[in-house]
Amino acid sequence: MTTIHSMAKRRTGVLLAATGMSALVLAGCSDSAESEDTAFGFPAAEQDAESPITVWVDASREGIAQAFADDNPDLTVNVETYDGNAGGSDTFRTKIASFDQSGEGWPDVVFSSQTNDTSWAGTELNGNQAYAAVLNEGLMDQEYLDGFTEGALDPMTVDGKVYGVRNDLAPVVTYYDQTLMDEFGYEVPTTWEEYLELGERLAEEHPGYILGSVGDSFVGTFVYYFGAQAPIFQVEGNTFTSDFSDDYSVRMTELIDTLVDNGTLVDESVFSAEFLEQYAGKIVAMPGPAWYTGALFENPDSLAYEAGTLGVANPLYWEGDDEVTGNVGGGVWYGSSHSTNLDAVASFLEYVTASDAALEYAGGLPAYQSVADSWLETQSESGFYGGDFAGAMTKAAGSIWSGWGYPSFSAETAYANIVVPALAAGEPVSSVTDAWQEEYLNQAQVQGYDAP
Amino acid sequence: MGRVFISLYTALLVVFGLAPALYALVLAFTDEAGFAGFDNFIGIFNDYRFWPAVTNVASFLALWLVVQTVFVVLLALIVHQISVRWIGAVARFVYYIPGAFAGAASVMVWLFLLDPAVSPVSGLLTSMGFDSFVQTVEQGNLPWIFMIIAFWTGAGQWIVIMYGALNGINPEVIEAARVDGAGIFHTAVKVQIPLLKKWIAYMAVMCLAAGAQLFVEPRVLSQASKGVVPEDYSLNQLVYLYAFRQGDYHGSAALSIMLLVVSLLLASVFVFKGGLFDRD
Amino acid sequence: MTATDTAVRSARANGWARAKQLGPREWLTRIFFLAVAIFFALFFLVPIAWLLLAPTKTQRELLLEDPFSVGTWDTLVANFESLSAYQNGIIWESIGNSALYAGGALIITLVASIPAGYALALIDFKGRALLLTTTLVVMLIPNTALVLPVFLEMSALGLVGTAWSVILPFSFFPFGVYLTYIYFSTTVSKDLLNAARIDGAGEFKVFWLVAMPLAKPVIALVGFFSLVQNWNNYFLPFFMVNGRDYPVQVRITEMLANVPAFNPTSSSSVVVEFPVLALATLLSVTPVLLVFLFSQRFLVSGMTAGGLKG
Repeated sequence: MTTIHSMAKRRTGVLLAATGMSALVLAGCSDSAESEDTAFGFPAAEQDAESPITVWVDASREGIAQAFADDNPDLTVNVETYDGNAGGSDTFRTKIASFDQSGEGWPDVVFSSQTNDTSWAGTELNGNQAYAAVLNEGLMDQEYLDGFTEGALDPMTVDGKVYGVRNDLAPVVTYYDQTLMDEFGYEVPTTWEEYLELGERLAEEHPGYILGSVGDSFVGTFVYYFGAQAPIFQVEGNTFTSDFSDDYSVRMTELIDTLVDNGTLVDESVFSAEFLEQYAGKIVAMPGPAWYTGALFENPDSLAYEAGTLGVANPLYWEGDDEVTGNVGGGVWYGSSHSTNLDAVASFLEYVTASDAALEYAGGLPAYQSVADSWLETQSESGFYGGDFAGAMTKAAGSIWSGWGYPSFSAETAYANIVVPALAAGEPVSSVTDAWQEEYLNQAQVQGYDAP
Repeated sequence: MGRVFISLYTALLVVFGLAPALYALVLAFTDEAGFAGFDNFIGIFNDYRFWPAVTNVASFLALWLVVQTVFVVLLALIVHQISVRWIGAVARFVYYIPGAFAGAASVMVWLFLLDPAVSPVSGLLTSMGFDSFVQTVEQGNLPWIFMIIAFWTGAGQWIVIMYGALNGINPEVIEAARVDGAGIFHTAVKVQIPLLKKWIAYMAVMCLAAGAQLFVEPRVLSQASKGVVPEDYSLNQLVYLYAFRQGDYHGSAALSIMLLVVSLLLASVFVFKGGLFDRD
Repeated sequence: MTATDTAVRSARANGWARAKQLGPREWLTRIFFLAVAIFFALFFLVPIAWLLLAPTKTQRELLLEDPFSVGTWDTLVANFESLSAYQNGIIWESIGNSALYAGGALIITLVASIPAGYALALIDFKGRALLLTTTLVVMLIPNTALVLPVFLEMSALGLVGTAWSVILPFSFFPFGVYLTYIYFSTTVSKDLLNAARIDGAGEFKVFWLVAMPLAKPVIALVGFFSLVQNWNNYFLPFFMVNGRDYPVQVRITEMLANVPAFNPTSSSSVVVEFPVLALATLLSVTPVLLVFLFSQRFLVSGMTAGGLKG
């Protein structure tokens, strides 16, 4: 832990020196606007090391933001809470648009609980400078940025420019019930093929037991299709594509339909009362995001498992194929390109992702590699989960499939609108894939993407 | 001398009533380049989201107006029939109390009621085939849902108003009808409802004007359902999206003006033809 | 008033008396009426009853037990504490904000609209008809329609983000002027004022000594409507202020973001559970609810007199 801290300190030092130097370079230049561009990669406002910074966080991130303020008494830090840009609220974007209109008032740092805000924050909006500051062209140290878990910054990277730093990761791993596995004499599945096979055996030998749920829109999309490398939600430049006839997509659709048909995949939401009533203690294995640990399994108000019952294993892959997995969410920190105290912004971003405090306040799997390692170590020590908890999480976190897109609309809406009702009506997913694909393409066009 | 008494109010009227309306008007007929004629309005009409939003709001309004009118009048008549004084007072109060939950609070209440996981009427929801919150709020159900929310919060005050109006009817007129052999039903249809006409019209206009501005309900439901309830469901949501998503303040103002004109037309018809403000 | 009351009561009593002699059809109508009345009483009450019970239960009890089961006092206390702990008691701050906005607006509204309504009713001045007509028309414009231009105006004035950006627009309340106008034109005669004027009282003295003592009921009425409307307003403050300055109505919708069932994909260490959210909803309307409870009687007469802005 101390190592992280001192590392962070040192980096901050390097960073301050670097920015200090660029300020000196600036002062010597005749055309400052030009050189500001080269200093940070965007036209920065006039800097003032004294100016206060305003930070917007959700309720969960308030603690760490306050801790930064306490640790930096010479800086004035105004911590404001908002809804964290929760799905569908769009608060972050609308508030920034209103500040663009006023020409002032932008917060210096914003936390968003969504992963896809770079799609608008990293581009000019209605002729206004992109809100998010470019981080890897002078503002932040490259060494610091390299410290993130592989792939963690992908959703915030456009044309090689990094617009935000990831707070946490939510890779999909495989959870299993050790007691049931032993009782039934099953092996923990390691591939989608074995998972399918297990489902068929389970339905025959122990009806009533399950391998998961597809009733939540984040599960159907991010756990199953994302994890199966299905190219149903891809962005390349300004082009959005969705292909349900691709081999990966078809195989996943068939897998889901088979398991739903034999009852080992259910369509109740994991947050619903029915799920709690009918399936507590009946889950043999279930792929799910890292945050299922706190939200479902250990939560006394949810499934409330006893310590030692559950195990965590590597994510499921296609046999012999790339070992990649899905991801369900993860928050992002953005710095403002309008900030008049970018030094403070930079040290804030580093503090909340890569410091001791980041470890202390972590609510889920941290995105910064060294912090994540320490966090997983602490989690494993509790001994709640059997299997190689830390190993599985680390492996999953570093192998998130890079083919999934992060456009300005959500993959979940179409699933909730089209697939969930079909499942409820007893129809197979394959009967609605056309409508589902159509819906994605329509939404993409609405949002201004080319969607052939 | 009167000027002094009205000065503060007049200032507020100018700054927060007339000026914003004028400002919106200017914005609506201009763009970055200057005077734009009806371009902003044409842009709105051609927006693929506009007509669905009009349809959504219109179907909600139609449903709400019918339900509101029928049941408010019926309940007011019923409450008026109750001869035990305290029962009548309790009934009026029971109908009226949800009015305290206007706005966001009412949507929060209905969020719980529409989620089969916790709803006190989950049996009813599942029997209609809605097993989850997302299924309950599917788009076809929304006009009904918004109607129920609006009726739940808004009916009470109008029941009380209608009840008051019924009390204002000369009892001898009713008694005369009774003597002529009219039953409760006939008395209501032949005597009481015609005398309530002015109030019913007033209610209809106020409901139309308020309902056309539908915003909080779809917004909160959209947030809670992760977009299953679309963020562009109602016209006022479009106003909001135009301004803060697209940064098109001119288009946003044009749409505001359209809504305003509809409200003003309704209001004027009412003020000048309906005679509510005639002093009798 | 009392004469009509007695007449009404005796007419109703006759109605019941006559009903006893009437045939089965009349009875069926009565049973139908009773059924409708009870159905709607349930419709209006069940959600509130559920909401009152919800904070006494844990999330798990809420999901699994009978919806109308009663939880425990301890759970209620626990939920209350967890709500108070949410963002260091931001809910109380938000209620305070609501009180500031609605309260501040209330004062300005009264100071602006009582004299204005009085002048419109009892003083002849140039532009009176114009002001009255404008007021009547503007009164019927729903207050959400002008939020966008008001926002732009406030933005131009540099007031966005301050309490004034909410209080000032809230203070413009034409319905209050209309109510006062109706009240003074029906209860105070010009002769009374003229008599005072002949005695040598100036206009302000007349207003203060003659009109104001009579104005208490209408002040209460205008205050009530202004308070309820502004307390429950969501749209305007949502545009105007940020973060800790939100009033409670905006705050509770923001709390939704921390409810896992509605927003599961965030790694939240701060979780708002259903019972806590229910408690927050309840608290957010408590002030209005109290006003409702204690003012029912005068409200009924007041609304009947003036009608109510929807």
